[in-house]
Amino acid sequence: MDAPRRYAKSHEWARPEDDGTVTVGISAYAVEALTDLVFMQLPEVGAAVTAGESFGEIESVKAVSDLYAPVSGEVVAANTDLPNGLETLGEDPYGKGWIIRIQPSDPGQLDALLDQAAYDALVGSQPH
Amino acid sequence: MSRLQPPGGLLVWRDQAAPGPDNMAADEILAGAARQRGDALVRLYGWEPGTVSLGGFQAIADAERLPDLAGWPIVRRPSGGGAIVHGTDITYCLALPGTHPWARRAEDLYAAVHSALVDELRARGVAASLVDAATAARVPAADFFCFNRRAFGDVVIAAPDPGLPAGGWKVLGSAQRRLAGVIMQHGSLLVRRHPLMRGSGSHPGLADLVGVVGDDSAGLVAGWLERLAVRLDGPLGEMSGPSWASFEADYQRRAAKYAGDAWRRRR
Repeated sequence: MDAPRRYAKSHEWARPEDDGTVTVGISAYAVEALTDLVFMQLPEVGAAVTAGESFGEIESVKAVSDLYAPVSGEVVAANTDLPNGLETLGEDPYGKGWIIRIQPSDPGQLDALLDQAAYDALVGSQPH
Repeated sequence: MSRLQPPGGLLVWRDQAAPGPDNMAADEILAGAARQRGDALVRLYGWEPGTVSLGGFQAIADAERLPDLAGWPIVRRPSGGGAIVHGTDITYCLALPGTHPWARRAEDLYAAVHSALVDELRARGVAASLVDAATAARVPAADFFCFNRRAFGDVVIAAPDPGLPAGGWKVLGSAQRRLAGVIMQHGSLLVRRHPLMRGSGSHPGLADLVGVVGDDSAGLVAGWLERLAVRLDGPLGEMSGPSWASFEADYQRRAAKYAGDAWRRRR
């Protein structure tokens, strides 16, 4: 069974894996809000990312959005199928729609993220 | 920045014309201020020299192979959308805190800004409207130039012209950059056709089409923003620009990024 996901307020999710890495994606809420995705820029494997800072960008029909790293570390994998199949983000945001995998420099940063209940509360309070 | 009005509504920074990198740097500073203050802020400005701005993901090679753009300064915006020929337009950058009700869906902010302009134009007797979904669906979305595209909610006007394109002549298009805690929306209100542009990047503006704003673009914009402030449930106020003594280093750093090839040629 997968470990529980944690969430950043900027709507990225992070899931710790058995091998010590952290898989990162964006929430179904974020995908729904973006709509009509047309382009995505991923970081290179080996790139350093910093918690709270942009690691990539995604463009919908007329909006560009930054993707923010939920934890610091090194990118050890990127879902290179995704830019050519952005519909996967909407179909399976927590599975095949994963974006990058990070080897965290400080796994304790996961504790600073929101748990599911807190994220649900955040989303529930967002303007509709 | 100094505030001349209490919070709420919309604060306007009427800036002078500037080169592309300086304009993009100023817009980033505006976005930071909106996030920090929790206010809706809008900056109005021009471009000197005339400049072509690219959408954030457009390939610069596509601009460089267009003969009509030879010799034009090119800057890449942080926002999406298509290329715009600046110099005879009024550009706006609206920065809205991420907590604002209009911030959740891109369409909501477009609709608020664009419908306010449509109302102002109609009040002045201009047959303005928003592009509907059916029209947007039948016009190719990937044209290089913003003003050749017809996205849902773009502002168009009908004009008695045999060359009238699908949905009418587009006079306002906008594009967004959604950052953590703040939404930055760029838009270009085309006042008149640029005299130095030829080919597919040449588009008529309001003054060419209906003449209504030829000598009153300031009045039109004032009316537009008043209507937008009403939708924001607050007053329309004026704000000054940054205090350069405190922002100069940040501004220069940001402008250098937009002038440099790492950003300009990233695609």
